[in-house]
Amino acid sequence: MNTKGSLGFCVYLLCVVLWIGISAGSAFAHKAVIFAWVEGDTVFTQSKLSGGRKALNSIVVVYDTDGNQLLDGKTDKNGEFSFKIPKRSALKIVLKASMGHLAEWTIPAEEIVADVGDVGHSHMENEANEDSKETSEDSATVKNKTANSIPAHVYLEHQALQQMIDKSLDKKLTPITNMLAKSMDREPGITEILGGIGYILGLVGIALYVASRRRND
Amino acid sequence: MHISEGVLSPTVLLGGAVLAAAGVAAGMKDLDQKEIPSMGILSAAFFVASLMHVPVGPVSAHLILNGLVGLILGWKAFPVILVGASLQALLFQFGGITTLGVNTLNMALPAVMCHYAFRWGLKPQTSRPAFIFATFASGFGAAMIAGIMVGFSLYLTGEAFLPAAKLVVAAHLPVMLIEGGLTAACALFLRKVRPELLEGFYAP
Repeated sequence: MNTKGSLGFCVYLLCVVLWIGISAGSAFAHKAVIFAWVEGDTVFTQSKLSGGRKALNSIVVVYDTDGNQLLDGKTDKNGEFSFKIPKRSALKIVLKASMGHLAEWTIPAEEIVADVGDVGHSHMENEANEDSKETSEDSATVKNKTANSIPAHVYLEHQALQQMIDKSLDKKLTPITNMLAKSMDREPGITEILGGIGYILGLVGIALYVASRRRND
Repeated sequence: MHISEGVLSPTVLLGGAVLAAAGVAAGMKDLDQKEIPSMGILSAAFFVASLMHVPVGPVSAHLILNGLVGLILGWKAFPVILVGASLQALLFQFGGITTLGVNTLNMALPAVMCHYAFRWGLKPQTSRPAFIFATFASGFGAAMIAGIMVGFSLYLTGEAFLPAAKLVVAAHLPVMLIEGGLTAACALFLRKVRPELLEGFYAP
């Protein structure tokens, strides 16, 4: 094999490589991604495979911090899966797509405690806790004080207001969470492609350098 | 074709890494200076081929190009694919660092197998149809065996083998056809323009 031959081949393949690189510049990834967020007492997840495809019928498993499996389910035809928060702890959500693809997302405990508190526990207790933080009094007396001092209708109004605020916040935040979900799935661009090719050229250079030194010695 | 991190058991990961290292060692033995540029270019081609998606079938699959790499390079496909797969893991987050050995093995071993199975087709005296058949079969076969090996890796970790392998192979059927066509087209071009290149690698 002569050097001219391999040089021509190199130029040809380089053209192919560049063409593929440029045409795929804005294109796809080959991996699975899962993104999850909390809305009220429900966790929503969105799963995607490479190429922007939704991960359909993929298994989603939810673990707590100790690695105990809490629940599992399958994504629907939009790659989405939602579930009621099963436990007040950080949740590790693992997507098991087919063919050895795996992705995970962790929801920190703080996000969940706040939301479950609104739903599962009486508002009185919450109020009491907040008050106790503010006034740093003994929590038992504060609880009594709160229960006695707030009339029922005021308390109900307060609760309704809270729910309304939560609802409209969720509504306003939905586009933002969707945007975040999209940006989580960053696809390799021209920077990564050219960077990788640069690495390979560098390796070829090093290999040739070593080979030529060996030959001269 | 890239298995994510955290899917396989440590034993499978270690076994894959050891076998891949052996393959790389075999490929780096008696390396000729003249082959280095071609190896680099094929490595770059392999690196970006994974961005070419074939949006057919139940899951998205991408080109591998391991058939072309193997047909031309033989055992040298191992270092070439190791470099390509490492960069894919680092820059594209395809696969991962711990699965690098298994992924390299899954893509490079079929390449070497196809090299020995089909290199007869590269002889200058083979007829054009036979040449096209051999190169197409090399691209097609390398992708198929890689799919089976991915299924086997998953099986070793506890997934049922037949469904896993069937799924991987079925998902890659369009890819296999395109791989075969692309490999044949590249080889035909080389045969016409630089036939000495194919024979040069055929000789050993």
